[in-house]
Amino acid sequence: MVSTDRSSPTENWETQIRKGWLELVILASLWKDKLYGLDILRRLEAHSELLLAEGTVYPILGRLKRDGWIDSEWVESDAGHPRKYYWLTAAGRRRAATMSRYASTFLARIDSLIQPILAKEER
Amino acid sequence: MSHEEKVQQKIDSYLTQLRRSLGELPPDEVSEILKEIRGHILERAEASGELTEERLVAILKALGSPEQIAPLYQTDALVAQARASLSPRVVMRGIHRWSTISAWGFGLFVLGVVGYATGSALALAGLLKIFSPARIGAWVGPHAIFDIGVNSDPAARDVLGWWLVPVGLIGGAVLFLVTTRVLRWTLRFARIRRPTTA
Repeated sequence: MVSTDRSSPTENWETQIRKGWLELVILASLWKDKLYGLDILRRLEAHSELLLAEGTVYPILGRLKRDGWIDSEWVESDAGHPRKYYWLTAAGRRRAATMSRYASTFLARIDSLIQPILAKEER
Repeated sequence: MSHEEKVQQKIDSYLTQLRRSLGELPPDEVSEILKEIRGHILERAEASGELTEERLVAILKALGSPEQIAPLYQTDALVAQARASLSPRVVMRGIHRWSTISAWGFGLFVLGVVGYATGSALALAGLLKIFSPARIGAWVGPHAIFDIGVNSDPAARDVLGWWLVPVGLIGGAVLFLVTTRVLRWTLRFARIRRPTTA
């Protein structure tokens, strides 16, 4: 979990960036496996720094389901309480693929723009 | 109070607070949400070995407060519900939610109020015409240009007569339907996302 300095002027910008990426990152985490909420959270923790509060992931999952990108079912577990598993629908797979292509191009272009700034800072 | 009871009480109070904050959602949706969040807390707790009160506080803090999470469900769900509903109450509730964050939403809220109020007034005039035919009408007079309702100008002429009954009732109903349809259609453009937190 990443904590940001509340007084930082870039904090709002960072929040917006995180919000924008979260949907793709959640869809991407479901690309190979059927996962339940905490599984998804663990993957986000390991692979991204996008989440501020863990609880935000659940409403987003709800919205993605309403939009038809994912589906869900309750599965009984050994843990003693049921887990709600999510997986990508066919439409969700297509959406994840489209978003990924866009994201990849987008990131490469931004990167080429900001490289000179980073290179100068290193010197 | 034992340690376990204290911890259990803390979890319960968190979930109660979340339930209260989710108040406006359909009950089955609320219980589904609570079941999922409860599972999250319990599983995090199990993973931490011995569950101390401090550990639970940290779990709940990482999860975010009920006040922080609940609106994220509500904004989306209310609008989604309104998009699919033909009930003016449900549609207006969704529009109202939208109106709190966008000027577009606010404009549509006003449009909705005007549409439903005019529809009701028309239907009411049609209905009252049956009971008080002399006083209720669609009046055209030298002073008021056009006025549906109770007449106070003796020079005015009732242009619709008994036709006001079907015109008022059907016109009012049509206006109700059209308003609902238009508002619902516009709701598809409502881009209501998580308010401030990510």
